[in-house]
Amino acid sequence: MELTVTQENFSRALSAVGRVATNKAGLPILNNILLRTDGKRLLVAATNLEIATTQYIGAKIAKPGAITIPARLITEFVGSLPKGSIDLKVTNDNLHISSGHFNSIINGVIADDFPELPTINEESSISYSIGIEDFKQAVSQTIITASNDSTRPVLTGVYWHSHEGNLFLAATDGYRLSERRLVETKSDVSAIIPVQTLQEVLRNINETAEEVDILFDETQVRFRINEAEIISRLVDGNFPDYRQLIPAKSDTKATVDKQEFVRVTKIAGLFARESGGSVVVTVDPDKNTVSLHSVASELGENTSELEAKITGDGSITLNSRYLSEALSVLDTDTLEFSFSGKLSPCILKSTKKDTNYYHVIMPLKS
Amino acid sequence: MSALWQSVLGEIEVSVSHATFTTWYKNTELVSQTDEEVVISVPNIFAQKQFEVKFNEQIRQVLANNGVSPSKITYTVLTQGKRTRVNRETTLQAAPTSSSIPLSMPTSSPLASRGNLNPRYTFDNFIVGSSNDLAYTASQAVAANPGVKYNPLYLYGGVGLGKTHLMQAVGNEILKTNPDAKVLYVSSETFVNEFLEHIRFKKKGFSDKYRNIDVLIVDDMQFIANKEKTQEEFFHTFNFLHQNNKQIIMSSDKPPRSIPTLTERLRSRFEMGMTIDVQMPDFETRCAILEAKAELSGVTLNSETVEYLATNIKTNIRELEGALNQLLAYAELHGTEPDITTAEGLLGNVRHSRPQHLTPKQIIDKTARHFQMPIEDICGAKRDKHIVVPRQIAMYLLRSELHMSFPKIAGELGRKDHTTAIHSVEKIEKAIKLDFVIREQVTTIREKLYA
Repeated sequence: MELTVTQENFSRALSAVGRVATNKAGLPILNNILLRTDGKRLLVAATNLEIATTQYIGAKIAKPGAITIPARLITEFVGSLPKGSIDLKVTNDNLHISSGHFNSIINGVIADDFPELPTINEESSISYSIGIEDFKQAVSQTIITASNDSTRPVLTGVYWHSHEGNLFLAATDGYRLSERRLVETKSDVSAIIPVQTLQEVLRNINETAEEVDILFDETQVRFRINEAEIISRLVDGNFPDYRQLIPAKSDTKATVDKQEFVRVTKIAGLFARESGGSVVVTVDPDKNTVSLHSVASELGENTSELEAKITGDGSITLNSRYLSEALSVLDTDTLEFSFSGKLSPCILKSTKKDTNYYHVIMPLKS
Repeated sequence: MSALWQSVLGEIEVSVSHATFTTWYKNTELVSQTDEEVVISVPNIFAQKQFEVKFNEQIRQVLANNGVSPSKITYTVLTQGKRTRVNRETTLQAAPTSSSIPLSMPTSSPLASRGNLNPRYTFDNFIVGSSNDLAYTASQAVAANPGVKYNPLYLYGGVGLGKTHLMQAVGNEILKTNPDAKVLYVSSETFVNEFLEHIRFKKKGFSDKYRNIDVLIVDDMQFIANKEKTQEEFFHTFNFLHQNNKQIIMSSDKPPRSIPTLTERLRSRFEMGMTIDVQMPDFETRCAILEAKAELSGVTLNSETVEYLATNIKTNIRELEGALNQLLAYAELHGTEPDITTAEGLLGNVRHSRPQHLTPKQIIDKTARHFQMPIEDICGAKRDKHIVVPRQIAMYLLRSELHMSFPKIAGELGRKDHTTAIHSVEKIEKAIKLDFVIREQVTTIREKLYA
């Protein structure tokens, strides 16, 4: 292999794939990055046998070939080189890198030992193209409620599925749940994508990206953003039938300003640290207020109110961290906060007509 | 697993590296086999591609060696979806309702819904040896019939010997057979704190929480010892539960009668059920533990390495696991085998923290200090009872820990006649079986020796 690339492109590609190069599975070669010529491009790839991520960069190729190189070393080395062109050359198992005054030889491992990167059959798969902003928002709105409890693997991912003509994303950790409607669809999709995969995809989004192409088949999913490609396994299993958990109607409703609600939640949270985040939310129809009350036995206590439009009355105890996280991903100026009694779930959603996002939080036992 | 696939894997295992085999070939299976096609299931898409591109020739070769030469080999990722779909087609039943996980009510800690129990602690993964089989059997009996036999169950022993594991296993087992049972696991510290809050802030619900349950598990009971008010509250809780035939399980580092500040009425109650000590595991048990833990991590250690670890780490299981994890992590990181050479290199760290070699002097010294008497007395000629017993214990320890000869033991303690040493060692050996005070003293001194 003999070729020339620019430092900017090469360094960006290496750091994008380098995060994945970890040897979780017990194969030492997974710590390496694969470099392989692909037509007029250089393929830079890494995998941990759950995700494979690939970057294609333009290169002037003199001689095709391939090699694998320890990820940390090459990423840091290329990152510290000055801008400009870099010549790469493979002799035996060594990669010679030269750029201006810098020459180095890195010991690699032959590319034949590197795991084959999975491919997806484009014809038999279901594909979506989703605008970058929609994608970013939908994913960040749902991954926060996914679980990290590895004893229930199906909850450690986001459930992408079709329902009544729409593609939905949903995630729950057993204490809260979020659902986001993304696009219309005619296909039948049901896939649980691991949270790590989605985080990796989010990291690969840069300013020039406009769209994410997503391709599902039965056991894997592929994301493509410009020249980056991420293929991941899906979580095996059935996602719980979460729709039955969202209450159809609520006795108590309050419409509040989001910014104000964020502020009082933050303040109440300060006093709730000792009690595991527990905050009592009371809806008062006489005063037309929602009040948040929290007690820190050692430090003191706090009551904050905000104005609201109200139907019904009552109070509910919530975890302030769950509440602030929910508020942080709700894209709206005013929101509706509703619940029925102390024991059933509370729902947060935008007051916009035809809202596409629901966030459900279970109350704390008080 | 089919015999054919087993022999294929057997043949491949010896021809590829261990890492390659465990990464790719584990969890593969033969799904179907006809003259035209052999279908093999693999765990994920990465394995699928790897088999299709890299391993296909090898598999074909090995299959041929076993007398199977299909025209096509297919690799498939077997998912739950596929499995259920197969069922649906064959039985024409309604789609299986997916397991619904209701949003549970969290209390402050997410674990609370299961009574604070950690689901990892079960009877299945508890390793039984002669040092803990009594405790294990009693715990199982309690789990089978909570509140009936051995109530309260009181386990005691040093740190890291498995008391918490056993107690939680009882709780988990009870929940398994009866998911509605109300099991509560707390540390005595939690109990004290909640009680204090109850008094100071007139918080309600304290009695409800502790009295409205079926099984109460309290860890590290010794911390309750010098808190009189809490003891009193615990006394009432205890009585209430016990009278209603609810199971109580407690653990501590000492038996009830050795906790000095425990009030008499609690002590007698703690002792009225079953009091069992969990001893330090013997060599064989330590080996078994290491092997089981290594297997859980998907690694097989050779016996040499296991014995090396078990010989060098005697005091507690937590440390044992720590050393094992360190070894496995090191081996994985450096791509080496977790064998005895690696272990020796690593255990330097574990072992340097303690005296490299126990000397006779140290044993005598520690024994004397434990009984708060001058060394001169132990090595001297006096024969008062309070001196004789420590002297005999010292001899016993010299024998059991350093395997010294009897004449040498006698010499170390200023005796002329080696039969004195023989007699002493035998006497303590017997006493350990019968007299728990002596047993505990020996255990404590031994712990100090290796601390």
